[in-house]
Amino acid sequence: MAPAKSKAGNSKKRTASNRAAREPEVRFPKNSNIEVPSDEEVDSDLEEDVEEGDFDEMLKMMAEEQGIDSGEEGGEVEDDYIAGDSLDEEDQEEEDGDEDVSDSDIEGDSEDASDDEDDDLLLAPSASRSTDDLATAVDSNSEGEGEGEGEDKQLTIRDFGDDLEAWKEYRKTLPTIEAGYASDSSTEEPSNTIGNVPIEWYEDYPHIGYDIDGKRILRPATSDELDKFLENQDNPDVFRTGRDEVNQQNVKLTDEEIDIIRRIQGGSIPDADFNQYEDTVEWFTSKTMQTPVTGAPVSKRGFVRSKSCRLIRQGKITPGKPKQEKPRFYDVWENADEESADAQSSRRPLRLAAPRLALPSHEESYHPPPEYLPTDKEREAWLEQDPDSRKRNFLPQDFQNLRSVPGYQKFLHERFQRCLDLYMAPRMIKKTSQLNAEELMPKLPDPRDLRPFPAAEALVYTGHTGRVRSISIDPTGLWLLSGSDDGTVRLWEIVTGRCAQIWDLKDVIHTVAWCPNPEVGSRVVVIVPTELCSDQKLLVTEEFEEEDAASLPVSWDMPPSSEQSQGIYISVVFHKAVKSLAWHKRGDYWATVTAEEGGASVLIHQMTKHKSQRPFRKLKGAVQTVKFHPNTALRYVRIYNLMQQALVKTLQPGVKWISSVDVHPQGDNVIVGSYDKKLAWFDMDLSVKPYRSIRYHKQAIRQVSYSRKYPLFATASDDGSLQVYHGMVYQDLNMNPLIVPLKILRGHEIRNSLGVLDCLFHPIQPWLLSAGADGTIRLWT
Amino acid sequence: MGKIKKKFTEGASTTYITRNRALKKLQVSLADFRRLCILKGIYPVEPKNRKKANRGSSKPTTFYYAKDIQLLLSEPLIAKFREHKTFLRKLQHALGKHDITKAKDLHSRRPQYTLDHLVRERYPSFADALRDLDDALCMLFLFATMPVVKNVSNEVVEECKRLSAEFMHFVVHSHALRKVFLSIKGIYYQAEISGQTVTWIVPYQFSQHIPLDVDFRVMATFLEFYRTLLGFVNYRLFTTANLAYPPKVDADLDDSAAGLGSLRVESKRVEDLIKENDDEETTAIEEKHTKVSKEMKQRLSTLGAKIKSLATAEDAPEYSSVTVGGDDSEARNEDDDSNTAELLFNKQVFFLSREVPRYSLEFVIRAFGGRLGWASSSGGGSPYSENDTNITVQICDRPVQGHQFLNRTYLQPQWVYDSINARRLLPTDDYLVGQQLPPHLSPFVEYADGDYIPEAAAKFATAEGFEGDVEKLKPEDEDEEESEGEEDAEIEGDSADEEESDDEDEDDIAEKQHQKQLLAESQGLSFTEYQQKAGNKKAKKPAAKKRSKAEEEEEERQRIAISMLSRKKRKLVNRTQDEAKKRAKDINALHSRKAQVTKAAKKAARK
Repeated sequence: MAPAKSKAGNSKKRTASNRAAREPEVRFPKNSNIEVPSDEEVDSDLEEDVEEGDFDEMLKMMAEEQGIDSGEEGGEVEDDYIAGDSLDEEDQEEEDGDEDVSDSDIEGDSEDASDDEDDDLLLAPSASRSTDDLATAVDSNSEGEGEGEGEDKQLTIRDFGDDLEAWKEYRKTLPTIEAGYASDSSTEEPSNTIGNVPIEWYEDYPHIGYDIDGKRILRPATSDELDKFLENQDNPDVFRTGRDEVNQQNVKLTDEEIDIIRRIQGGSIPDADFNQYEDTVEWFTSKTMQTPVTGAPVSKRGFVRSKSCRLIRQGKITPGKPKQEKPRFYDVWENADEESADAQSSRRPLRLAAPRLALPSHEESYHPPPEYLPTDKEREAWLEQDPDSRKRNFLPQDFQNLRSVPGYQKFLHERFQRCLDLYMAPRMIKKTSQLNAEELMPKLPDPRDLRPFPAAEALVYTGHTGRVRSISIDPTGLWLLSGSDDGTVRLWEIVTGRCAQIWDLKDVIHTVAWCPNPEVGSRVVVIVPTELCSDQKLLVTEEFEEEDAASLPVSWDMPPSSEQSQGIYISVVFHKAVKSLAWHKRGDYWATVTAEEGGASVLIHQMTKHKSQRPFRKLKGAVQTVKFHPNTALRYVRIYNLMQQALVKTLQPGVKWISSVDVHPQGDNVIVGSYDKKLAWFDMDLSVKPYRSIRYHKQAIRQVSYSRKYPLFATASDDGSLQVYHGMVYQDLNMNPLIVPLKILRGHEIRNSLGVLDCLFHPIQPWLLSAGADGTIRLWT
Repeated sequence: MGKIKKKFTEGASTTYITRNRALKKLQVSLADFRRLCILKGIYPVEPKNRKKANRGSSKPTTFYYAKDIQLLLSEPLIAKFREHKTFLRKLQHALGKHDITKAKDLHSRRPQYTLDHLVRERYPSFADALRDLDDALCMLFLFATMPVVKNVSNEVVEECKRLSAEFMHFVVHSHALRKVFLSIKGIYYQAEISGQTVTWIVPYQFSQHIPLDVDFRVMATFLEFYRTLLGFVNYRLFTTANLAYPPKVDADLDDSAAGLGSLRVESKRVEDLIKENDDEETTAIEEKHTKVSKEMKQRLSTLGAKIKSLATAEDAPEYSSVTVGGDDSEARNEDDDSNTAELLFNKQVFFLSREVPRYSLEFVIRAFGGRLGWASSSGGGSPYSENDTNITVQICDRPVQGHQFLNRTYLQPQWVYDSINARRLLPTDDYLVGQQLPPHLSPFVEYADGDYIPEAAAKFATAEGFEGDVEKLKPEDEDEEESEGEEDAEIEGDSADEEESDDEDEDDIAEKQHQKQLLAESQGLSFTEYQQKAGNKKAKKPAAKKRSKAEEEEEERQRIAISMLSRKKRKLVNRTQDEAKKRAKDINALHSRKAQVTKAAKKAARK
C-alpha cells in the first residue's frame, strides 16, 4: 500500500506540478482564495515567488499546498482507488473544471472548440466512446463554459471565508463539468504512460501501465480468437482497425488517417492541405528587406543627414550645377611692397637668380658682315670639335635674304638645355676678374724722384775677346780691373775707357779683386784656376801665390822672376779651381771658395803672414761664394763671427741655387741672388726669411751688388739685362726698407745663353759697371 | 673638460643636404622632387668644401641648401602630389575593371592644384617677376608654335598661344619694344617694361624639329609654371594699362588667321569711365570741384580719349581718322624724345606681301605705331587691301616685284628691323626689292674700347634719315629733323675712332664714295676737305704705330712693378692681361678678315 500511497501522492504532486508547468499564468491567488482562503501569507509568498519567476521554488510551494489539501482529499483518493470507482475521477474532474473555468477565461472560446476535436482524435482509443458522447461532451463543455462564466462571477461575489463545509455544499449544487480540450482531464481515456518499454513486462500484472495520474490502467479483457474472428467478420471497419499494443486496444483509423497512410505509402507529403508549391515569401530581396543583413546597429550616419544634404535642402548648393569659375588670374602682387621686405628674411638662404642667356652677337645674324663668317678651315675645326667644348653652339651662316632662312634645328634642344641648367646646375657667386690691372699695381714712388741712378749706357770697354768673368774697381774709383776667359787681366781707366795694362795669364780668370784698404797698398788678386796673382804696378801691389801641398790645399810660393818682373809677387796654388774671392776691408785677409768638397773649400788667407787657415771643419753642401761682413764677418747664408768662431745666423732664402750674395754697407741687410731667377732681400734684424723676394729676371741671376754710397742695388742676369733698384734702408729701425725697381738696363748680348756675368757699383759715383759674356764691359750712368 | 661635441651637428654638414637625403626627408619620389624643384625654383648649390658638406665622403653628389629642403617640407604641393598619386591608382583600378562610370566620376573629382602661391613666393615683387621673364617668354613662344607632343596637350599649346598673344598685345599697346634681331636661330625681341629689359626669342614659323633626347616631362613642368607666371604678369600689365583682362578673342577673325587682330583688347569699363566723366562735366558748372577731382577728371578724360584713339587706330582703316588726342601728343612731344623712336612708323602705312613673315612684322610694325595691311592669302582681317592708296611702304621679299604702285616704296623686310634698331627710318636705297642687302647687325652688341666695330655699324650711325621718294614719308615736323641731326652728330662723335680704322679700306672702294660724301656732310665739311683730313690721318698713322719712348718706358715700368707683386696678385694681373691679349687677338683676326674680304671684293670689281 505504502508504495501505492506514495505513488498516489507523487502523482498528485505531479499533477499539480504539471498543471503549474502547463499553466504558468494561472492566477494562484484566486485558487488559493478558493481553497485556502486563510493562508494569506503563503499566498503572498507565492505571489512574490511567481513574480520572481523562481519556478522550482514555486513547485515546492505548490507541493506543500497540495499536501495540505491532500490531507483531506488524499484519503478519498485512496479510497476511491481501492474502490476502483470512477467517482474520484469525477471529483477530480470537478476540481479540474474549476480550474478549467479560469483556463477558459484566459484562452479564447473558439480555440476551445477547435481543440476539442483534436482531443477527440487523440483520445479516440475507447471504442465504446461514440460520436454522440463527443457531442455531449462538446455540449456540456459549451454549457459549462457558459455556466463557468456565471460561476466565475458568482465566485467573485460570494465569499465563503473559512467555511469549508459550506463551500463543499455549495459545490454540490454546481453542475458537473465535462472536461473538454485544454483541460487536464481531457485525457479521460487511460493512456498508458509506461513509455518505451516492452509491454511483455506487464504480462504478469493485471494492469498494463499507468495513466497520467499514476493510476493503474487495468488490462482490458481480451477476447478469444473466435470472438476476434467473429468481430472481424461483423465489423465492417476491420480493415481500418489497428492494434494499439501499449493500450491493448483496437484503434479504428479515421478516413483522414488512412488518407495520410496512403499518402505516405505513395511517397507524397502526408498532409493533404500542404501546398508544396506555395509562393515564396520574400523576406530579403532587392525590393523587400524585412530583416537586416547584419546584426550591427545602424550607424548614426545612416539616419543623420549629411552636411551636403543639409546644404542642398537649405538651397545653398544645387547639385549638378557647374561650379562658378573664379577668374584664373588676379593681381598676385596686390600688396607686394609691404611683404617684399620680409620675403627675403633669414628663413631661407639668399636666392640667386639664374644668369640670363648671353645676348646674340653679330655672328648670329642671318646676314652677318662677311668678316664674321668662318673660313673653311674654321668650319671644319668647329665640326670636328666636341659639341660641349665649342666656343659657340652654332656656325655663322649668311643668307642673302630673309625668305631663304630655314628653321633652326636645335631650337628645342637649346631650350631644353637651358631648362636643365635652370634646375640641375649648381648656382654660386663667382668673382670674375673684371679687375683693372692698374688697381692691383703697388703704389710705388716715381723712379724720377729717386734719382740719381744709372739709367743709360755711357761707355763700352771693348778689348776682351772672351767672356769677362769678373771686374773690380779700385777704392779710389779711377781704375777698373777685369778678368776674362781669354786669359788676360786688363786694367781700365774708368772715365775714359782706355785700357792701361794687360796681363796675359794664359788661363781662364775666374775672379779679380782689388784690396779694399788703400793704406795697406793697393793689391789686386787675380784668380786663375791654379794661380792667384797679386799685381803691383804703379800704385798697385800685386801678389802672386802658388800652391802648397801641405795639410791645407794651398801652397804659398814666390813666383818666378819673370813673373815678378810683371809685378806678381806671391802665388798661391790651389788644388781645385777657385770660384770666389773676397777681401776683408782692412786688406790683410781674403777668403776663397774652391770647388773642393767639405770644409776645405773655404779658406781664409792672411797676406802679411802668408798663411792660410780653414775656418770650418765641416760644411753642408757646396759653397758658392763668401763675403766679409763690413763690421763682422758674414758668409753666404750662414753668418759666422770669425773672431768668436761661432755661427751667428742661418738665412733661409727659399731658393734652390744661390749664385751671389752682397751685404749692405750698413751691415743689417743682405741681398741674395739665385740661379732660379729670384732676388731675396734679407733684413737680418727682422727675420731669417726674406723681407722681400723679387722675381723679374727671365734667366738666372749671376750677380747682385749694393752701391756703397747710394741707396741703390743692382742685379745682373743671364737674360742680358741689369736691373737697378732703389733700396733705401732707414736709420729708424721701425721703418722697413723701401725697395723700388728703377730701371732695366739692356745692352749686353747673350752668348751661349750667358748674359751679364758681373756687375759692380762705382764706389763714388752712381755708376754701374757690368761685364758680359759678349766680352764687353759697360758703364751705366 | 667640456661636453664632447657631436659630429655633423653644425657647419657645412647642416647647411647643405645631399639629394638622396632630401628625398628621404621629403618622402617623395625623385620625379616628384624634380618637379618640386622646378616649380619652386630650388637649385643645387656647390659647397665650399664638398667633403665637409657630405660628412667626410667625397662621392660625387648634388647638394641643396638644407633650409630650402626644410621649406619644401611645408609645401602644400607635396600633399597634392600624393593625392594625385592615389587618384591615379584608383583610376587605374577602375579602368582595369572597365568601370567607366567610376573612372569618369573619379576623373571629374580629380585633385587639382594651382601654382599661384609659388608665383608670389618666388617673385615677391612684380619687378622680380619681370626680371625673370626671359625664360618664360622663350618657352611660351616656342610652345605656341609647337605641335602637340607627349606631355604637352593641345590645351597647353592653345594656352601658350593665347598668353603669348596677350603679351605681344601689351607690348604693342605700350610701345615697349626696343630692339629686334633676326638671327639664324629665330627672332630676338627686346622690350622695356616698367624699367626692366625683357628679351625673348621666337623661332621662325616652321614645323619644329623634335629631337629624341629631349625630356618633355621636364619641359612640361617648366611650362606649367611659366604659364601661370605669364598669366599673372599679363593680368598685372593689362590692368595697370587700364585694359580689360582677359582680352576677348574674336572667333571669326581667329579662324581666318587674323593673328594679333583676333584679340580684342578693350579698355576696362571704358564706357563707364567716359560716362562718369561726362556727368561730371555737366555738373561742373554748378559745383565747385576740388583740385583733386579736377585732376582726376582730366586724367580720365585723356584716358578715354587715348583709349578711343587706340581703338580707332586698331579698327579704322582710314588714315585720316587716326587722331591722337591733342593734349596727349603734345605732352608726349614735350616729355621725351624717345617717343619719336617709339612711334617710328607712326606716319607709315605698310602692306605685307604674302611671302614675308607676318607674325613678326605685324607685331613689330604695330609696336612702333605703324598701320598695316596684308595679303588676304596670309590671313584675314586685313584693314588695307593691296590697292589702297594710303599705303606708303610695301614689304616684300622676292627677287623682282612685277607691278609697282608709284606712290609707295617696295622694301625688303630687313629695312623694318634695321630702322627699329637704328631708332630712325633708314634710307631705303639698300633695301629696295632685288637689292643686295647690307649686313644685319645685332643691336645687343655694346662696343667697349678697342672692340672691332663692323663697317655697317658705323654706317648706321652716320647714315641720314629716310627720305624716300614719297612725300608722305618725310617727317613733317622740322623740329624732329633737327633733333635727328643732332642725334647723328652725337653718334658720329662716338664712332670717330672706328672710322679712322676703317678709313684705309674705304679709300679704295668706289662704291663707298657716296657714303663718304655723306660722312663729310654729316661732319659739316666739304668732300675735298674731308679727303684731306683723311689723308692727314693716314700720314699720321705710321707715327702713331711706332710707340713713343715714353710709352715704352711706361710699359717697362709696369712690367717692373708687376715683379714687385705677390704671387697671387701677379697671377691675377697676368690673367687679366691674358684675357686682354685674347680679346685683342680676336679683334685682330676680325680686322685681318675684313681686309681680306675687301681685297677680294676689289679684285672681283676689277674683273
